[in-house]
Amino acid sequence: MIIGIISALVLLGVLPAFIGPGWISLINEMFIIALAACALNLILGYCGMVSFGPAGLYAVGAYTTALLLVNTKIPFAVTLMAGPLMAGIAAIIVGWFCVRLTHVYFSLLTLAFSQIIHTIIFEWYGFTRGDDGIVNIPVPKFLASITHYYYFSLVIVCVCLLLLRMIINSPFGKTLQAIRENPNRTESIGINVRRYQLSAFVLSGFFLGVAGTLFCCFNKNVFPNYAHWMKSTEMLVVCLLGGVYYFLGPVVGSIVYMFLDKIITSYTQYWPLVLGLVILALLLFLRGGIAGFIVKGVELARPRSKS
Amino acid sequence: MTLQQLIIQLLSGISVGMVIFLIAVGLSLIFGTLRILNLAHGSLYMLGAFLCFWLSSTLSHLSGAFWWTLILAPLAVALFGGLLEAFLLRRIYTREMLDQFLFTFALILIIGDLCKLAWGVEYHMVSTPWPLNGPITIMGMGFPLYNVFLIGCGPLVFVGLWTFIHYTGLGRIIRAVTYNRDMANALGVNVPLVYTAVFMLGCWLAGLGGALVAPMSAVMLGMDMVVLIDCFIIVVIGGLGSMPGAFLGSLILGLVNAFGILVAPRLAIAFGFILMIIVLVIRPWGLMGKPE
Repeated sequence: MIIGIISALVLLGVLPAFIGPGWISLINEMFIIALAACALNLILGYCGMVSFGPAGLYAVGAYTTALLLVNTKIPFAVTLMAGPLMAGIAAIIVGWFCVRLTHVYFSLLTLAFSQIIHTIIFEWYGFTRGDDGIVNIPVPKFLASITHYYYFSLVIVCVCLLLLRMIINSPFGKTLQAIRENPNRTESIGINVRRYQLSAFVLSGFFLGVAGTLFCCFNKNVFPNYAHWMKSTEMLVVCLLGGVYYFLGPVVGSIVYMFLDKIITSYTQYWPLVLGLVILALLLFLRGGIAGFIVKGVELARPRSKS
Repeated sequence: MTLQQLIIQLLSGISVGMVIFLIAVGLSLIFGTLRILNLAHGSLYMLGAFLCFWLSSTLSHLSGAFWWTLILAPLAVALFGGLLEAFLLRRIYTREMLDQFLFTFALILIIGDLCKLAWGVEYHMVSTPWPLNGPITIMGMGFPLYNVFLIGCGPLVFVGLWTFIHYTGLGRIIRAVTYNRDMANALGVNVPLVYTAVFMLGCWLAGLGGALVAPMSAVMLGMDMVVLIDCFIIVVIGGLGSMPGAFLGSLILGLVNAFGILVAPRLAIAFGFILMIIVLVIRPWGLMGKPE
């Protein structure tokens, strides 16, 4: 497993030498979506909280960094930290209300908050430039080239994924999984379920903010639709595609989703139709996502000792 | 802002609310009985609107074409919904919420693109049908007669549904299945058939909503998303699974939107969400729902 990861990283490291800028950009976008999806999966797959509103927190991160870069002369490193921090603060506020509910009510409340964030961004023209978005965001010279930004975001995404992995494997992470399996039972052994859920929500929001910040600097523009529920659905689809019960599932999902998106949009204007059919097929036939499919395939293929 | 303008604005809000009531009550019914939140409900509404446009232009040589459309379009949507339920939705009743959500979301994408395939991306208009075109004067100001018709449709449908659910045999069976599916099954009720019937009823309502709204506003792609969010707000305020709740919720949303535009036009969109948040935080099962 470790060998696989190291070789994948080496491959990603040397890739820019072999492929054109268009592909580098695509893979860069893929990392960022993978990070956002993994952040979402912290509460989705590992804690069982179906949030319809990750896009709101992602947009908070993106807009914070964008506004700071455009309006102030604050050093770049500080704006990079500010995005996730603001997203984390927003997640504390949103999460405090949301974790008091469960199931469909939790999901609808996250949707409502995300749409409020969208409305604020959209309507507060004086501050956020509304529907026009914020364009031509100044990024430091050393990150201006596509290849440099690729390495930059690769490093940040890997560090964040490592942190997420450490969180999931820690006692905190195990408790989250216990809450997913049976919240009542977990409560009965003395765990403050609400507090764990809120912490997970805030951590997830923080990493969504990192993804938003990265995308803001990647795209050099931000728009209100970063907060729209369609974006949230995109993240949910990516998680599902890859498999929500596997750590690297969302990464796999993001690779497949980006490739499907680029390839299919070049053939037809009916990309939503194809995506819809793919999701249906996945839900009906490939439960566990693609990562699940691979894992089961590997298990079946592995030779067994005679017992 | 004179009294007349206020009254006109009020009536305007209520007429919009009544149309969304038709769709929201279908969503609520489906959630109440089948326990799934059908995201594709907005798309079925859009399908109803497109069918209304298509049928009324195909049948325009008949007199009273719109009224024929009003009968046929919802039936077509109900039939489509029935096939959807029998072949696709049945497989996901026992799955968890994320799967159901993404499944119905996939249906949004598919139905939306099917409409695009069939009718293209342009706006379409349906003309207001004969006895109802033109304004009437209320307190000295003009108000479209068609909107008055819509205001009338809401309570009419509500009373019809209420009578059906509470005073007929089939309605009793539906209530039994809603209350306790397994017990009803044990007593010999064909539960899958009831599920299909309720889903078709919900789709019929959505199609009716779409057909009714077609003369009032443009028929175009993207109308499904707008109405879906409003539906969520209504069923949350009123209570998932409650018909009177959906009616109350639609009235409230219609009025809040109408007055919101007068008071603070830029923030008017947010009022619905703020209301939704307040209800979810204080009383998550809605004003007229039951706590689970």
